Amino acid sequence: MKAAALNFDDLRSVVRQMPDNGLAAVRETALAHLGENGLPTLSDEDWKYTDLAPLVDISNRWLGAGGQQRSASTQREAIEAITATIDATWFVIANGQIGELAPGSNLDGIEVSRISDAPSPLALSRPLANLNAALLHDGLRLRITGKVERPIGILLMDSSDTEAVVTQTYIEIDVAPGGAADLIEYYASNGDGDLYANSVLTVNIGDDAIVNHARIQNRSLKHVQTSRTSISPGRNAVLRMASYDLGGGLIRNDIEIDLGNPGADVSFDGLYLAGDGQHIDNHTRVDHRVGPATSSQEYRGILNGECRCVWNGKAIVHKGADGTDAKQANHNLLMSEKAEIDAKPELEIYAEDVKCAHGTTVGQLDDTALFYLRSRGLDKQHALRVLTHAFAADLVRRTPVKAAMQGISDIVEARLAELIQADAIAALLA
Amino acid sequence: MLEINDLHSRIGDAEILRGLSLSVNKGEVHAIMGPNGSGKSTLAQVVAGHEDYEVTGGSVTYKGVDLLELAPEQRAREGIFLGFQYPVEIPGVNNAYLLKAAVNAKRKHQGLEEIDAFEFLKLAREKMAMLGMDPKFLNRGVNEGFSGGEKKRNEILQMAMLEPGLAILDETDSGLDIDALKAVAAGVNALRSPDRAIILVTHYQRLLDYVEPDYVHVLSEGRIVRSGDKSLALELEERGYDWVREAAIA
Repeated sequence: MKAAALNFDDLRSVVRQMPDNGLAAVRETALAHLGENGLPTLSDEDWKYTDLAPLVDISNRWLGAGGQQRSASTQREAIEAITATIDATWFVIANGQIGELAPGSNLDGIEVSRISDAPSPLALSRPLANLNAALLHDGLRLRITGKVERPIGILLMDSSDTEAVVTQTYIEIDVAPGGAADLIEYYASNGDGDLYANSVLTVNIGDDAIVNHARIQNRSLKHVQTSRTSISPGRNAVLRMASYDLGGGLIRNDIEIDLGNPGADVSFDGLYLAGDGQHIDNHTRVDHRVGPATSSQEYRGILNGECRCVWNGKAIVHKGADGTDAKQANHNLLMSEKAEIDAKPELEIYAEDVKCAHGTTVGQLDDTALFYLRSRGLDKQHALRVLTHAFAADLVRRTPVKAAMQGISDIVEARLAELIQADAIAALLA
Repeated sequence: MLEINDLHSRIGDAEILRGLSLSVNKGEVHAIMGPNGSGKSTLAQVVAGHEDYEVTGGSVTYKGVDLLELAPEQRAREGIFLGFQYPVEIPGVNNAYLLKAAVNAKRKHQGLEEIDAFEFLKLAREKMAMLGMDPKFLNRGVNEGFSGGEKKRNEILQMAMLEPGLAILDETDSGLDIDALKAVAAGVNALRSPDRAIILVTHYQRLLDYVEPDYVHVLSEGRIVRSGDKSLALELEERGYDWVREAAIA
């Protein structure tokens, strides 16, 4: 596919002006891949619902201006507003810059380094990962060496003011065999100016290790984000992940889980709340390469106003992956005629002995539950509000990282209060 | 207190109630019995205001108020309580939240102040102790993952908190083991009062060993075909419903 009109000459010159901190070769390779393959377009099956034109436009303006414009003054405040409310060992990445690293000796069970300390070949199989690598200043590498009690928070704080801003964040996390960690990935914005944030996260989970992972996206409703999360669990590894898309203008998340070891047990759920002007696209893919292994996902969405959400859940059970148990579900509440959901489960099964189930629903609230609440004296609007909150709250409550639950709940409540106003209730009454 | 006169109701194309009349006075306990499909649950749902059931004729008044003109929540606030045959699981809605919202909706209707948190907890714990319920059920999702017996106890808890004027308990005894049945019966008996009426909708006589009714009615094909005192229930237990049906036709 041809690149969607990304100004490649400007891109090359910006990349070549970046200081060589050991990553120049990586950037050149990525640039070459990008030059060859370009960015995806709507005619790519994986991208048919999400037009990258807005991020190409922001990128070209940013490239033309020749560098990054940041409003640093409010950053500290915006960062502290988050790190002070959720108890975790925080790593802050501001506009893609990882800043000063905490000294390793202070962090029990966590080894912290920069990608440039030991440049490794980055994952370059996807166009946006190439863009990420080409423009990457540096990346963060965490190695979890044992069982870490306190949650590990990674805050991606992206700030924009009057000039277009593009940021690239790259994170690698390795969890040693037998290790355990609670991860919080928090995507946030400071300011409403045009911004495109692109991030890549790779997590390798060792044999018998346990990872709980909460992803919180609470960006400005004007901001554009693409993110790719690739996870490889080891033998008998356990992953409990939940994603919360609570803000954002144009959001595309790709989550890929590669089950190449027997005994792995993964679940990855998601909640997305969307209102006027928002576009939230969640693409998930799980590859069952060997069995037995278990994967399950449940995504839920609440949509109101003129917005569009996408859930595309792909599960591939490869030949020989006997003993696979794969479940996927997607449920949506549509509160407006103008809200659109594209829900697509994709199951490809090439093995013999497998258990697979999928289900999607798009609709309104359960009449029986509504009558039940009304028969207890709650008026119809109150009952509808309660049920809508419950639809979301159920996933909040199931968050695998308990330390983040209150923080997530607060944002969900605030966002729902904006989304479920009188007119939305009126739509549900119809 | 409750006057049902020549009530006709349908769901979709099926006519379920076909001229049902029933009069219930303060202080009385009525049992409505009948075979499956006779319209027992429909009667309960229609009185509570379920919108899937269309009332095509007749009247229902409660303390002189035309119930059919009221939304389900208005009926609840007037004092009608329906104990569901299949209590609904609502994950994400905390049991305490629902109880409190229900109590406050009624209090507001009565022109009273909202119940304060301390008073609410005290009252809820007291009622739960009576029903043999662990107070931790307050913090669970409404009926979420409850056993059959726990769900029915939870219905009785809601009833006990709301202190309705008229309680209609739809098959509250179904699926209960003997301990749960006794606990539920104790909850119902505790609520018996000269100011309150109770309608027990049941398929079996079993519950009536523990909650003694003043009247027993047999429903068949959408109408009451026989009424009597508690001995009628025992007779039904012995002779089955065919006997009533045949008697009704004859």
